[in-house]
Amino acid sequence: MSSAVEIKNLSFRYTHNWVLENISANVKAGDYVGVIGPNGGGKTTLLKLILGLEKGKGKVKLFGTDVARFSDWKKVGYLAQKSPVAQTRFPISVEEVVLMGLCYDVKHKEATAENLKQVYRALSQTHTLDLAKRIFGHLSVGQQQRVLLARALVSKPQLLILDEPSAALDVDSRDLFFGLLGELNKKHGVTILLITHDTSEVGKYISKFMYIDKELVFFGDKEQFCQSKKVAEKLGSFAQHTIDHLHNQGHCPLGCNCEHEHTHHRAQHGAEALHAK
Amino acid sequence: MLSEFISYGFVQRGLLAGSLVAVVCAVLGVFLVLKRLSLIGDGLSHVCLTGVALGLLTQTSPLYMSVPVVVLSSLGILKVMDKIKVYGDAAIGIVSAAGLALGIMITAFAGGFNADLFGFLFGSILTVGKTEVFLCAVLLVSLLLFLLVFYRDLIAASFDEAFAHTRGINVKRLNMALILFTSVAVVLAFKVVGIFLISALIILPPVTALLVAKTFKQVLIWAAVVAVLSVWSGVYLSFVFNIPSGATIILVNLLFLLIGFVYSKLVSLQDKKEEKDVD
Repeated sequence: MSSAVEIKNLSFRYTHNWVLENISANVKAGDYVGVIGPNGGGKTTLLKLILGLEKGKGKVKLFGTDVARFSDWKKVGYLAQKSPVAQTRFPISVEEVVLMGLCYDVKHKEATAENLKQVYRALSQTHTLDLAKRIFGHLSVGQQQRVLLARALVSKPQLLILDEPSAALDVDSRDLFFGLLGELNKKHGVTILLITHDTSEVGKYISKFMYIDKELVFFGDKEQFCQSKKVAEKLGSFAQHTIDHLHNQGHCPLGCNCEHEHTHHRAQHGAEALHAK
Repeated sequence: MLSEFISYGFVQRGLLAGSLVAVVCAVLGVFLVLKRLSLIGDGLSHVCLTGVALGLLTQTSPLYMSVPVVVLSSLGILKVMDKIKVYGDAAIGIVSAAGLALGIMITAFAGGFNADLFGFLFGSILTVGKTEVFLCAVLLVSLLLFLLVFYRDLIAASFDEAFAHTRGINVKRLNMALILFTSVAVVLAFKVVGIFLISALIILPPVTALLVAKTFKQVLIWAAVVAVLSVWSGVYLSFVFNIPSGATIILVNLLFLLIGFVYSKLVSLQDKKEEKDVD
């Protein structure tokens, strides 16, 4: 299967502090990757490097092309963690915001009927059709996030890069949101890279985990995630809530059918080992 | 009185140059305000002081001396933002303080320039020459052509720089072009309203337009209309009451802002009432 994202020996630092060190991974077309890790572990920076928003040491390729020379942005949809507009007075309608997703296509001319059809299809996918004529800045944060997802989807991308997109959504919207992403991945083969802390919610859809904590702790099938010794050590030190999920729900929410008791003990053991250090 | 006022050649030149540069500042201001870079006008106008002082010191045209100084400073702001990774306002503050300090130092070194410098600080629209009118016209035409080509890119980059990048838009180049246009506009505007008030010409008309307009195109048109009206009424009132033209233009702008604010409140009340009626 061809690569959607290739990362080779990627490192990045802000002034003197290394945020990411020597990351290498190959995301295949059709993968649904949950990018997880502690706050400040470098997840958002990694996505920015993949998109060419930051320049680091090492190589990033999108669909086989170095990101610095990549021009086929139609294939990529991106949704950031926060809505870009703080001021409510930005004079732009929801329809125009979603149309921006096609702006490589409608740069110097008016939007065509076909463009508008694409916009309305994307709005319908994210259940925001009724908001089309509203001013974007007047919407709630959750509504804005769904509109921005429509913008990311409007070009029918082959790769979706999402940075904690569900943070501002209510429970119903979150279910719809993850359901839609799952459908896009399963039915249409869209590759998804999703930063999330919501492993219990999204675990059933994801095929792979990428665990980043300045370095690449784990990248592989979700079934192997709970068996990873390195992950158990790290989980013991930072994400007790993930372990709690493993415990409390009676089944592994990551969907790997592991024996959660066993994983918990290994995590505990990892934590103790770290404390001992 | 109005026909007598308009009949003077120097008034016609002042009004024409003032209108042209006011439209440029207003249109640029819309993007700068939305990108939260509106204080760049303030910063670069302070840098003008260095250019003007250098011009007066070397007895060359302060206008021509200011262009390279301000353009270089604007590039300096972008470099500071990019390399030192500070927010735009801090980068503007750094370059502005440097420009102002250097200008004052040169002025002190030359033993002061008295009346000449005063004119540049507070504006003297009625001393605008034909060359300046021509330069203002060239600047406006260039800006309109730039807008025509990059209209959608500019909106996308003003709304969300990161996403604009993922649509293949070269955001860095767009920002540089915007800031270079602003540099030249600031230099050409200092005769109209004076170094200290240029930023108001960049901020006030766009903010007024954002209060009353509903679409991006309307904002651009309203900002331009408010800017031209404020120049014309400001110059006329200053002629009638013998008051400083630069300050009058800005005060008229503030009046428009107040009207815009009241209008937006009334519209918002009306909308709320309609929503209640529907409920």
